[in-house]
Amino acid sequence: MNKQEFILNLKAKLSGLPRQEVEERLSFYSEMLDDKTEEGLKEEEAVAQLGSVDEVASQIIADIPLIKIATEKIKPKRRLKAWEIVLLALGSPIWISLIITAFAVIISLYVSIWSAVVALWAAFGAFVGCAIGCIAVGTVFTIGTNALTGLAIISAGLVCAGLAIFLFFGCKAATKGVIALTPQIALGIKKCFAVKEKA
Amino acid sequence: MDIQLKRGLLDVCVLTAIKNEDSYGYKIIKDMMPYIEISESTLYTILKRLEAANMLTVRSVEHGGRLRKYYHITKAGLGRIEDFKDEWREVMSIYKFVTKEDAENE
Repeated sequence: MNKQEFILNLKAKLSGLPRQEVEERLSFYSEMLDDKTEEGLKEEEAVAQLGSVDEVASQIIADIPLIKIATEKIKPKRRLKAWEIVLLALGSPIWISLIITAFAVIISLYVSIWSAVVALWAAFGAFVGCAIGCIAVGTVFTIGTNALTGLAIISAGLVCAGLAIFLFFGCKAATKGVIALTPQIALGIKKCFAVKEKA
Repeated sequence: MDIQLKRGLLDVCVLTAIKNEDSYGYKIIKDMMPYIEISESTLYTILKRLEAANMLTVRSVEHGGRLRKYYHITKAGLGRIEDFKDEWREVMSIYKFVTKEDAENE
């Protein structure tokens, strides 16, 4: 890939972002590539050193706050005429609620991922509860009339305890995973905004 | 290395790279290379942040028929480097304390 292709590809990946921001970034990379080639590097080599267009674009998108990206998306591309402003004001009950909905969707996405983790921990709690309950009840039975049933219940309790220990590690891993994943989810959402939809 | 720590170090390294004379993006990366690795996008973010914090100023200079941005350190930027040195004098004495046993055992 030569310099021009790199810059054009990158520009396409960032087309939905604030224009000034993108221009500044592109001129930064373009200067970098010029300086590298000036030192005797081939254009293709210089481009390869920057990493793939996707990587560079992801880093840039991760850098820009979601709010900035979202408002750029909503902002009109030209000055509004008077009647459009009137219409916007009249229509505010609709579009404001639409924006709120969009944010609600994003938040609910997070919540649903976290609720899976919460459910896992709840299952863990249930097993612990069962283990304690079974062992207590089983002990009472064993000491009392029915020793055989009692032992069976105790063993069931021990099985629960074992499963709980297993699940504990699973829960811990899942929680860590979701925490590690959070920035990537944010990046994914931003990426949806970053590319301009085709008119 | 811890991400937060590296971020703070990179800020000071970039400031140091432009301390003695104004420099430009590619040269900053090259000068830092032997000590700490920095990607182009990271450098851009840091330069922006330092500019917003008034630690450096930017000007465009013509170079070989194109524009190149030169970064110039401000008083606040120089102050940041001095703060860093003071902080790390402290850190180094703590480091000595932490590694004292290792040194004695050798």
